[in-house]
Amino acid sequence: MRALTYLAAALLAAATPAWAGDATRGAALAEARNCAACHGANGISAVPLMPSLAGQQAEFLLVQIIMFREGLRPVPAMMEPARGLTDAEIEDLAAFYAALPSGPAATDPRNEALAARGAELSAARNCATCHRPDYSGQAQVPRINHQREDFLVHTLAEYRDNLRVGMDTQMNGVMHGMTNADIRAIAHYLAHR
Amino acid sequence: MTTKIIPALAGAALLLAPGLALAQGAPPPAWAQGRSPEMANSTLAPHAGRLTVTPPDQLPTAQLRVPEGFQVELWAHGLPGARVMVRGPNGTIFVGTRGIGRVYAVREEGGERRVSTFMQGLQQPSGLAIREGALYISAINRMLRVDNVEQNLSNPQPVDLTAAFNLPEAPHHGWTHIAFGPDGRLYLPRGVPCNICDTDGERYALIASFNPDGTDRRIEARGVRNSVGFDFHSRTGQLWFSNHGRDWAGNDNPSDTLHVNLRRGEHHGFPWCASGWQDPAVSGRLCSEFPPPALILGPHVAPIGTHFYTGTAFPERYRNALFIANRGSWNRERLAGYEVVVVREEEGGRLVQEPFLTGFRDDKNQRFRGRPAGVMTMPDGSLLVSDEQNGAIFRITYRR
Ligand code: HEC
Ligand code: HEC
Repeated sequence: MRALTYLAAALLAAATPAWAGDATRGAALAEARNCAACHGANGISAVPLMPSLAGQQAEFLLVQIIMFREGLRPVPAMMEPARGLTDAEIEDLAAFYAALPSGPAATDPRNEALAARGAELSAARNCATCHRPDYSGQAQVPRINHQREDFLVHTLAEYRDNLRVGMDTQMNGVMHGMTNADIRAIAHYLAHR
Repeated sequence: MTTKIIPALAGAALLLAPGLALAQGAPPPAWAQGRSPEMANSTLAPHAGRLTVTPPDQLPTAQLRVPEGFQVELWAHGLPGARVMVRGPNGTIFVGTRGIGRVYAVREEGGERRVSTFMQGLQQPSGLAIREGALYISAINRMLRVDNVEQNLSNPQPVDLTAAFNLPEAPHHGWTHIAFGPDGRLYLPRGVPCNICDTDGERYALIASFNPDGTDRRIEARGVRNSVGFDFHSRTGQLWFSNHGRDWAGNDNPSDTLHVNLRRGEHHGFPWCASGWQDPAVSGRLCSEFPPPALILGPHVAPIGTHFYTGTAFPERYRNALFIANRGSWNRERLAGYEVVVVREEEGGRLVQEPFLTGFRDDKNQRFRGRPAGVMTMPDGSLLVSDEQNGAIFRITYRR
């Protein structure tokens, strides 16, 4: 009962986003800017360290592409694709990728011990509070399941080392003090769910 | 890195009661330390900010309410993330932000009000101050100064004062409000890099002041968890600051607070005591050892802009009154804050607060329509209030 109340509160509290994204326009723009070359056909990445975008939270995609455009998430490979995009175009791209079905869980063998350690760490640090119990995310909090394991390792280490700072600083606080081994375990656990 | 996160510290057991529902070994995330078991299954998460333009027809202008005799109107829009506001000597209003990394300039030109992006690509430039025609910008761990700023609006060449100020590196709670005091020094709070932890009290959980060039750092107030707004009393010159209580201790505890710093270096209670509430997660010192807050503002209301009204256009009872913009809660089941309150001194010096600008919070549907963040008096005595969620600025005037 208690948990249910909290859930309802969290779902309702957000300001009504005036969402204007159009997935069809977004698909055309993704085609024109060749997003698939790096992020994969249908938004499922086959390239090492490239994140999948399919089924990602629209609001998260919007925020991140704006941060690329503004030079606040300084990834050289994303400079050109994000250059000059208007807010409306970014909303379209976000709507397009959010509507694609997310990829499957990783298919390589699951290391049970590693996954168990990852699950433990996730529970200790309450990852599922913000990312939701199934890790599918909510609003600006991204989906972190159905994602490439190598990308998760890479980006979690960047948060820890303050190389990636989000729109707020939540993830830097979360990752404070984590070891590389912890990060490998948590990424393995998440990718194999 | 000198910050010590409590549960990671073997020695912390000596200092702290083992009351935290936390796993052994791994330090918990900054925001979750000291989480009560009752909130263990919560999915409350910080609200998403908005980095895109909110068109005027989607602004809550019509729903906003002010006391009898006051009017509220839309003054500027199209400034995603608008927070703190300062005014240059020639009338340019500079507006700082967090997530979108911009500083905006708002100017009146030929009877028209124009918004432009003055600087961008900064990490959470939420602190702005003006002195001798120069704009000081504080971003996370950085301090910049743009000389003759209003003469260089289209081509600012900031002087980087970061090395001189030598601010702590941890990004969390590292966005700051800044302002010059009556003593000509630059005041700069630095919050804790966590929700609740045992930090280096010489670097975090404090308000410091500096010479304008970053030299001669002095700690003005200690034991301040996270102050994002302060001002100096127009008559006494004293530092009045608001402070954010911690998360995950429940819906109604602790409260956010307003403090008056009576002595240089005064300790205000963090991490042991907040709003007169003895934190059960931390033992060692008692609330009775610290000066009580000047006023309890309310749980999780999140005071940002904290500003003495310096105009004369408002009625007598608002002269030198303190306006506080409560940006609003996330770590609470029912919404709290999302309004501007006014704090006045009653006879005998008792402080009272009353709602001033309301209508951002929709209690019935448990939604919010905007988040007030910055407050500033204009030369004509009107009051500007920024709405961070909608990237808009509202103007409040009084007419008999
Ligand atoms: C040349 C390769 C390349 C192209 C083309 C490209 N991207 Fe990216 N993108 C990247 C890389 C690399 C990253 C992540 C880097 C990191 O943080 O480690 C990224 C990250 C992202 C992210 C953040 C995802 C996350 O989970 O954090 C989004 C959203 C994104 N890209 C959208 C796009 C869109 C939309 C396009 C087309 C307009 C595009 N990208 C084109 C290389 C590319
Ligand atoms: C307080 C809420 C909160 C908690 C708790 C939290 N996260 Fe996050 N997480 C976020 C937000 C918000 C973002 C987006 C930040 C940004 O803009 O970079 C994010 C981003 C991420 C990303 C980047 C994904 C991508 O595609 O770019 C990963 C991976 C992640 N979190 C993993 C975790 C893990 C693992 C934990 C627990 C150890 C955790 N998070 C706990 C809020 C949270």
